[in-house]
Amino acid sequence: MGKAKIKKKSTFIDMTAMSDVTVLLLTFFMLTSTFLQKEPTIVYTPSSVSEEKVPVNNLVTILVSSADKSGKLEDPAAVEGKIFISFTGDVDSTFSSGTIRGLMLDKAVGIYNEQHKTAPIEMTAARRKAFMETNMIGAPFAALPALLDMSISERDKVQGDLTRADVGIPINGNKDKEGRLNDFQVWLKAIYLVSKDIHDQKADGLTADEAKALEDLYNAVTKDGRGIAIKADKDTPFTTVEMIFDNLQTMSLNKFSLMTALTSEEEVSSTAK
Amino acid sequence: MAEVAQNDGGEKKKGAQKKMTIRVDFTPMVDMNMLLITFFMLCTTMIKSQTLQIVLPSNEKVNKEQQNQAKESEAITLILDTEYNDNNKPKVDGETGKTIHNIYWYQGIADTTFTKPDFIQKEQFVGDARENGVKVQQGIRKILRKQNEAVMANYEEYKTKWKNREITKEQFDSLAKKNAADSTLSRPVVIIKPGPNTTYEGLINALDEMNINQISRYSIQLPTHTDTLLIQALEKKTGETIIRPTIRKSSNPS
Repeated sequence: MGKAKIKKKSTFIDMTAMSDVTVLLLTFFMLTSTFLQKEPTIVYTPSSVSEEKVPVNNLVTILVSSADKSGKLEDPAAVEGKIFISFTGDVDSTFSSGTIRGLMLDKAVGIYNEQHKTAPIEMTAARRKAFMETNMIGAPFAALPALLDMSISERDKVQGDLTRADVGIPINGNKDKEGRLNDFQVWLKAIYLVSKDIHDQKADGLTADEAKALEDLYNAVTKDGRGIAIKADKDTPFTTVEMIFDNLQTMSLNKFSLMTALTSEEEVSSTAK
Repeated sequence: MAEVAQNDGGEKKKGAQKKMTIRVDFTPMVDMNMLLITFFMLCTTMIKSQTLQIVLPSNEKVNKEQQNQAKESEAITLILDTEYNDNNKPKVDGETGKTIHNIYWYQGIADTTFTKPDFIQKEQFVGDARENGVKVQQGIRKILRKQNEAVMANYEEYKTKWKNREITKEQFDSLAKKNAADSTLSRPVVIIKPGPNTTYEGLINALDEMNINQISRYSIQLPTHTDTLLIQALEKKTGETIIRPTIRKSSNPS
């Protein structure tokens, strides 16, 4: 009896099928993805049963950081959420995020300088450009020029450090629409005025699509409250959130939305003991 | 698959040609694709955030007479509170990993004699349980649902109709909205009073309960002195410390 012949088998694995699958997956991810926007701090939104989606276009996001993620702060008075603001324009119209940001900045700086005649801030073209390219920003107006002069990485580093006094938009004081507005209220007023301005210019021969985009922006901010969203961490103290509510009420922007994550009625964030 | 067999098309030639096999190695291609997939997976947000619409009253001062006074019997007050641990972080339940929020609630006008037993009670936000396949409400939801019985009965009816495809989602939504605002039914007015230590999550939970229980009339207010006294009375009764020092100072002058 001869020995059983062992067939030499090639170890070559056919990767074609594998490659097909990966290309399919890749296509899926490329088509479904929307890129994460850079935010200065990570915020975990609380969950809710509300199923309404966050709009993609024409959105002003007010980000409220959690009290303290680093554990560095020891003074309880300092343990407070910091406010950042972000503007999203229309994806495919003349009013892209950059344009909207530019308009908002011009208007806000105008209002601020009007109210602080002794210490106005200067917005150069370079600073304006830097602002237009930044997704989210949170700083008092007085610190804004210095912040915009920094390089991108430097700015991110400064904005990410929540212990700094020049990070976060001040929201304290003022309960009067007519008096000297605080920095946050200046932004809110700018948001209202810009959307109103754009709305009023509608007659000047725009295309139907553009006119619709402008109408959407105006409605979102002033009418149905979809255009202003508060994104706060689940551990943000209510006192901070209440201050934001109060500022919005002072500026007569009574309708707005709160960002949440989806949950079911069976699950809620607390349990019986 | 990655082989291409070169054939001479059946024509026989004198010198028998060797069959050529061209193999393309796809491994680097797969490697590269995997890298790209990883990149896209890390950079995308698959879950889109949801929003909760909220409408607050204007800040302008309103005369007492102009205010709509809610009927005392219809009012329910929820005082919210979040427990904190020694590190000034919200206290987390060991089993579920979720923050502990307490609700102190009472019905009707505040009892200023502070003597009625069980006037103010403690509850928590608890999700629905299932008993023999039937949804059972627990915690504060059970209480709110009972108060809003008339509205909820209709709501459940519409829901069954919708589930049985008798009405469309749009019809269901409009019916539910109309039902929640129906002034002929007895509906409660809920006053949400987040205490000084409440976190944002506590407030969202409370607003969520309003949505779940189809309560259309609610307001957010700050706790009053009477509320503090009521909680003190509860503290005395149960021996529990409820009022803790506020760990956060508000710089709001109000």
